[in-house]
Amino acid sequence: MRKIYSQFFANAFLMLLLLSMAKIGNAQQQITVHGVVRDSVGGLPGAIVKVLGSNGQETSTDAVGRFKINATSHATLMFSFIGLKPERISLSNQKIDATGNVHLEVTLLADATALEEVTVTGFGSTQKKASLVSSITTVDVKELKTASSNLTNALAGKVAGIISFQNSGEPGLGTDNSTFYIRGLSTFGSGKQDPLILIDGVESSATDMARLQPDDIADFSVLKDAAAASVYGARGANGVLLINTKMGKDGKPTFGFRAENRISTNTKNFQFADNITYMTMANEAALTRTPNGIEPYTQNKINNTAAGADPYLYPNNNWIDQLIKDYTVNQGYNLNITGGSARARYYIAGTYNRDNGMLKVDPINDFNNNIRLNNYSIRSNVDFNVTNTTTLIVRMYGQFDDYQGPIGGGAKTFENALNANPVMFPAVYPAAKMPFLEHPLFGSAQTRNSDMSLSSTMYVNPYAEMVKGYQVYKTSNLQPQIEIKQDFAGLTPGLTARAMGYLRRYSYYRVNRSYIPFYYSAILNPQDQSYNLVALNDGSANSLQPVGREFLDYNQEAKDIDSRLWLEGAINYNRIFDEKHAVGGMLVSYMSSYENANTNDVIQSLPARNAGISGRFSYGYDDRYLFEFNFGYNGSERFDANNRWGFFPSVGLGYRISNEKFFQPLTSVISNLKLRATYGIVGNDAIGNVNERFFYLSNVNLNDGAYGATFGRNEGTAVDYRPGVSISRYANPDITWEKSKQLNLGVDLGIANSLDLVIDAFRQNRTNILQTASNIDNAAGLMAIPFSNFGKVDSKGIDLSASYKRNLSRDFWINARGTFTYATTKIKKIDELPYSGDLIYLSRNGYSINQAWGYIAERLFIDDEEVANSPIQFGDAGLLAGDIKYRDINRDGVITNDDRVPIGYPTEPEIIYGFGSSFGFKNFDFNFYFQGAARFSFFIDAAQIQPFYQSNGYQTGLLKTIAEDYWSETNRNLYAFWPRLSTWRVNPNNETSTWWMRNGSFLRLKNIDVGYTFQDIKKIHVKSARLYFSATNLFIISGFKLWDAEMRGNGMGYPLQSVYNFGLQVNL
Amino acid sequence: MIGLLTLIVVLCFSACQKYLDIVPDNVAVIEHAFKLRTEAEKYLFTCYSYLPKNGDGWFNAGLMSGDEIWLPQDDQTHWHPAFRIAEGQQNKDAPLFNEWGGDLKGADGRFNYLKMFIAIRHCNIFLENVEDTNKIPDLPLAERERWIGEVEFLKAFYHYYLLRMYGPIPIIDRNAPESADPEDLYYQRMPVDDCVSYISDLLDKAVEKLPARIIDENKELGRTTKSIALAVKAKLWLLAASPLFNGNTDYAGFTDKDGISLFNPTTDLTKWEQARDAAKAAIDMAEANGHSLYAYKNDVLSLSDETKTQLNIRNAVTDRWSVEHVWALSNSYFVNEALCMPPLARGANVDRFQLQGVWAAPIKIAKMFYTKNGVPIEEDKTLDFSKYTDVRTAVDAEKYNIEPGYLTARLNFDREPRFYADLGFDGGIWYMKDGNATGSDINTMYVQAKNAQRSGFGHFTNWNETGYFIKKLVSWQTTTNSSNAPTWRSYPWPEIRLADLYLMYAEALNEVEPASSTAIEYWDKVRKRAGLKGVAESWTNYSKNPTKYSNQDGLRAIIQRERLIELAFEGHRFWDLRRWKLAAEELNKDITGWSVLGKTTETYNIEKNIFSQTFIAPRDYLWPIGNYEIRRNPKLVENPGW
Repeated sequence: MRKIYSQFFANAFLMLLLLSMAKIGNAQQQITVHGVVRDSVGGLPGAIVKVLGSNGQETSTDAVGRFKINATSHATLMFSFIGLKPERISLSNQKIDATGNVHLEVTLLADATALEEVTVTGFGSTQKKASLVSSITTVDVKELKTASSNLTNALAGKVAGIISFQNSGEPGLGTDNSTFYIRGLSTFGSGKQDPLILIDGVESSATDMARLQPDDIADFSVLKDAAAASVYGARGANGVLLINTKMGKDGKPTFGFRAENRISTNTKNFQFADNITYMTMANEAALTRTPNGIEPYTQNKINNTAAGADPYLYPNNNWIDQLIKDYTVNQGYNLNITGGSARARYYIAGTYNRDNGMLKVDPINDFNNNIRLNNYSIRSNVDFNVTNTTTLIVRMYGQFDDYQGPIGGGAKTFENALNANPVMFPAVYPAAKMPFLEHPLFGSAQTRNSDMSLSSTMYVNPYAEMVKGYQVYKTSNLQPQIEIKQDFAGLTPGLTARAMGYLRRYSYYRVNRSYIPFYYSAILNPQDQSYNLVALNDGSANSLQPVGREFLDYNQEAKDIDSRLWLEGAINYNRIFDEKHAVGGMLVSYMSSYENANTNDVIQSLPARNAGISGRFSYGYDDRYLFEFNFGYNGSERFDANNRWGFFPSVGLGYRISNEKFFQPLTSVISNLKLRATYGIVGNDAIGNVNERFFYLSNVNLNDGAYGATFGRNEGTAVDYRPGVSISRYANPDITWEKSKQLNLGVDLGIANSLDLVIDAFRQNRTNILQTASNIDNAAGLMAIPFSNFGKVDSKGIDLSASYKRNLSRDFWINARGTFTYATTKIKKIDELPYSGDLIYLSRNGYSINQAWGYIAERLFIDDEEVANSPIQFGDAGLLAGDIKYRDINRDGVITNDDRVPIGYPTEPEIIYGFGSSFGFKNFDFNFYFQGAARFSFFIDAAQIQPFYQSNGYQTGLLKTIAEDYWSETNRNLYAFWPRLSTWRVNPNNETSTWWMRNGSFLRLKNIDVGYTFQDIKKIHVKSARLYFSATNLFIISGFKLWDAEMRGNGMGYPLQSVYNFGLQVNL
Repeated sequence: MIGLLTLIVVLCFSACQKYLDIVPDNVAVIEHAFKLRTEAEKYLFTCYSYLPKNGDGWFNAGLMSGDEIWLPQDDQTHWHPAFRIAEGQQNKDAPLFNEWGGDLKGADGRFNYLKMFIAIRHCNIFLENVEDTNKIPDLPLAERERWIGEVEFLKAFYHYYLLRMYGPIPIIDRNAPESADPEDLYYQRMPVDDCVSYISDLLDKAVEKLPARIIDENKELGRTTKSIALAVKAKLWLLAASPLFNGNTDYAGFTDKDGISLFNPTTDLTKWEQARDAAKAAIDMAEANGHSLYAYKNDVLSLSDETKTQLNIRNAVTDRWSVEHVWALSNSYFVNEALCMPPLARGANVDRFQLQGVWAAPIKIAKMFYTKNGVPIEEDKTLDFSKYTDVRTAVDAEKYNIEPGYLTARLNFDREPRFYADLGFDGGIWYMKDGNATGSDINTMYVQAKNAQRSGFGHFTNWNETGYFIKKLVSWQTTTNSSNAPTWRSYPWPEIRLADLYLMYAEALNEVEPASSTAIEYWDKVRKRAGLKGVAESWTNYSKNPTKYSNQDGLRAIIQRERLIELAFEGHRFWDLRRWKLAAEELNKDITGWSVLGKTTETYNIEKNIFSQTFIAPRDYLWPIGNYEIRRNPKLVENPGW
């Protein structure tokens, strides 16, 4: 190795020598240039110094910014560093000292072009980032590339201002989407609460966004404040996500191809106790509240099970192990082609993703019961220059889901596994037991009542439930879109116009196909300890229901078809006068219509329409003083003609102090400082649920059978029956949209051109929240509770993002970034009873909208005497020692609703944060990101995990945590995890209380990413290729161990997934 | 440029206005209900639909909330809000049978019928529209008058229903607009006297407009007549005159938030005169329009006189549209026969789901019935009931009442016909039309109520807790003697019977003219139908207190007991005990029954304690309005004690 280097240097030296000799001949003296490259802070390591010219050489600065390079005396040197403005220096003007050396001190300034970066704002217009006053987060698309195939799961902690969390990892139609809110959930209205999502201007659902490929995204902006969102008028109150897909570029076609192979495992599985413990504890549960109860499991059965006797006679199942795989493998492919000529450009992309579930597939059927979600999409964005000033853009997007999975979905399988008895039956008996039958011999048993008498149901066999059939659904989403842009520079410079329209057709259908399993139960043959099978549901005289059926039956379920039409036209004006006065303006008019085909009544079937005019006027003086005025004026079909139109104005001011003359001395440290302030009003017209649209009309059923009456003798003669009238809504013409008044104060701070900080603090007053008024005296006799716009909530918070970039040497770069979002709410007015005096503590005013209310659990009751001497809880006189003891808040001697108080943090996180770093060394890159959430609580659903609780054929399993820590006569632990066992629901123990409350805070390694990039592999016509490994949800740090804390109370659902991903990205 | 822009904006805007007007003109709104007669008729029926569903024990607070009928104590399958009141579970946190709060707080689907205030609002909407002759042009004037009368009656009845439960109630004569602020919709409870006179006046207005009788019985039976309205008025005044509402000093300090007294603490005897006159008017109107006491006629089965008397008593209730029914609820047929009747000996149906026999009468109710001499068991000087749990063997002469040769308790012997007509008991005959092949009352079905016997304990949810079954409510024409499910001969629930009016009249008369002979005259009509001799004759000959009937207090006690016996299991006892302020005494007694777990005569015929009922006076005399309702209306005051 060393030899090769030395030879290389020797050769280079020789060549230099030759060159220098040649140059001398041309009177070009060969000189050595040395010096220091600095940035605003000091010596800049890793800056590149290059001699311009055909075979100019190149070097980089050392750790303190020093460099040394040989060049001819007339050469030009180029100094560059990422993020800084490159500098060219001609050597001809430099003084050459006696030894033929030139000394240079170079300072690189902040790259002005970085500040020329544009940000996409409302209605397809763009603004220079530098002149932006509103609060818009521009998301670096690279950040969104994670191992998850669902884009919504990439937002948490990465986008300042978004509060996001994931509840379930089940692949499907929205099932593994993260819920996300811009600046937190800030309304308690029953209508739309999540942000408006516009993909290429198309109003889209969270699932549409989930299916979007980061590869196809050109830019991604989050409009957070009123100044940014008020152009969306009555639709922008919850913030707006703007996503635009890539357009073609001039040049030869380039191909991008990405293939990924993902291994997915559950982040955490819940653990069952072993079945011997299960049976002994079940026996205890049967006796502990009913001393003369009957034990369900005999000692003989327990002993035989423990001894591992015949597994068909003494079944010993761990359903999770039997139904759930350890991992599953998924694939994703994305191909895009871009290119074009001066007249036309194209970007064409196709995606295929395959997500598989975690369910075990068994060759028992020829259909696959595991979840298999294929989604395909194709996108074609083409733009033509129709004339020199006219551009026509045509976008076509089609997205299709093909799903196959178990009936009821994957979460149902987990639920069944938790709620199946593990010792009464095996999953399936060997087919050889009844060779003449073709159907599988599923195990089950007849359930028993508490007195051990046989009841009329069978135990649910989770295995049979999983394999008995499958559901299939398919979605299609087609979106043709056409846009014309016209440049009116001929009329007046800076004037352009644009018109856009799209159609979106969505369809969804689902069918189920299933057979009805035949169940068998084993009967011991005492002679030889073998067993025989008896059919439980074969349709014979004493058969249980439902009777088995071998062939598949079919039923079709919900179908969904909808259609949306959108038309918009816009005029834009942007011009800079006298190099100092930047004037901008925009005026947009739009109309939209949405129809849904599967409705239940006339009202629902009517199209939902929206129309409006929006505008922006901006003025900037010398890029220092910035002013902006925005408005939306729009109307919605939902409201009375007199209240239909609303005006939503906003103003913004910005001040770039760093552009002031007096600031110049500081720019080497503070390279950028901008103060921003905006204030405005935005609305939300999607209030109430979809069926509650026309609040100005009453909703009357003039043929309601429930309110009919009958008269007549009824002696073989017809009676006179007429249906009656019911009213489900009273007309209220005053009802209008929710209003959000938002104030945003922001600072953009750049330090030494390497650290960027964006800090926004906001305050929002949400008013006019639609609510029912429940403090109306019932004596008024209203059939429906009237609605009105009276709810009020304030929210405030702060979001910040920081990023740091640094090239440590030519081959080694590092960047670090982090975000922090804090949002909290305070109810100002909500539908509740007019509490006053002693009852004031029941009022929700002043608390977060997500504040949980519950009881304060002191501990478990010590003994029955304490129960007798304590306030009676919820009227249940049957409580015993070991049940949860609640505090009598109002000291009225009984525990009722009135003893509830706010407990814990809000149930949605108030803080979401993330931080991470990327390093690059030569062609390697490494990237990690942590994400966390804090200040939230959740509640374990005790009823859901109550062991031994039997309902029909379901019997809840025993979680290990419960088996290890529960109150019993022999272990009277007053703070045990689980109270006294029971076979029925002891409802007072299941109330929302501090007993079941847990702190949800967690920090997780959200993703890591290691890649190697092959550059210019020309031989095989590859421009670049990157081979990478990425992983998501590697581990979680949380005080809560039962399941993944991010799933909160939904712990028995389909777990979140850890994904390990191997991918290859090739650009041709 | 600017001009062009403005033009575009203006054009777009006017187009947009139209664009957003998507609601067609014909979307159903409340105005449509009063455009045509057929639609308005539906609204009339809507007003009727809120009449209480008293034919179902789930909704009949009077039947199930007192001490008349008991349910299995250790199994709550059949428990419902009304019965939980009897179990002492009434509370203000989530009031049971919460008529004031309507369904808004009730979790169970079957609470949904409790919507009396909604009913009143509907009545007001109906009256506002129908009284306007510009509306419903195709509605003839005469029919319009009648409809108005019917809805005025319903409005009055709904007020009366609430008054009986809650005492002072708001008078809702006009609706507040629904879009008004919550403050405008706060109602105030009005003094009882104001409520009574308001309801009484409204009933008077209705009577004028109502038809005297139903002509088109096939279509209209069940709709309101003058007799019904007058009978309700009689009930109203009897309630107003009775001690609970008339000069009740327990409520002397009960005021609303403005300090207005809600109960008048001075007794006003003229209220009894009102009650007397109202009852008389109702009786006259009913009799003039074909109502009379029921009598079993056209006997093709050659039944014994004993059985015929029992059928007179049973059919007065269970005969469909019986002549005695002044007001029967065509929208609420009795639906609980299966809960009354158990599988019987000699019967073919032993299915405990089809014949549950769960409704049980406590022993104190069995004791309440007279002896065969028509006087109370504790007063009869010829018959000794002091050892009523001793057993005795039935003889052949008793074969229409008790299975001959059967050993059963002393309490079940020598009783008046109403005892045998109303109750089934261990060894008791249960005559049904299909009891045997000929329909004869000899060798017919009877009750075997000991543990593991046909009618006895043994099923896991359906058993009779006391050993007394409610025979009275089961129509004799129901077919149960088959292994198939019975075909229940259900009947419109008799809300008001003529016998009830007679006894009301007698009661009021005694208060106005002590020991009135007219009172005895009307009341003896009821006794006669029950197979008993007149009051004077019975007491004189058989009572240890032979002159009891000749003074006001004595006569009052006798009238009250007579009323409880005659109207037993029809949902009156609960209200009457309150009205008389006797609930604190009666409903603080223990509920007892035979030892239904006993398998032998010896172990069965032991009186066992089932439940110790508690009634806290004066709290329990009126319903709690409940925390939720009190809190949401600052003008509302809770009833005393709650």
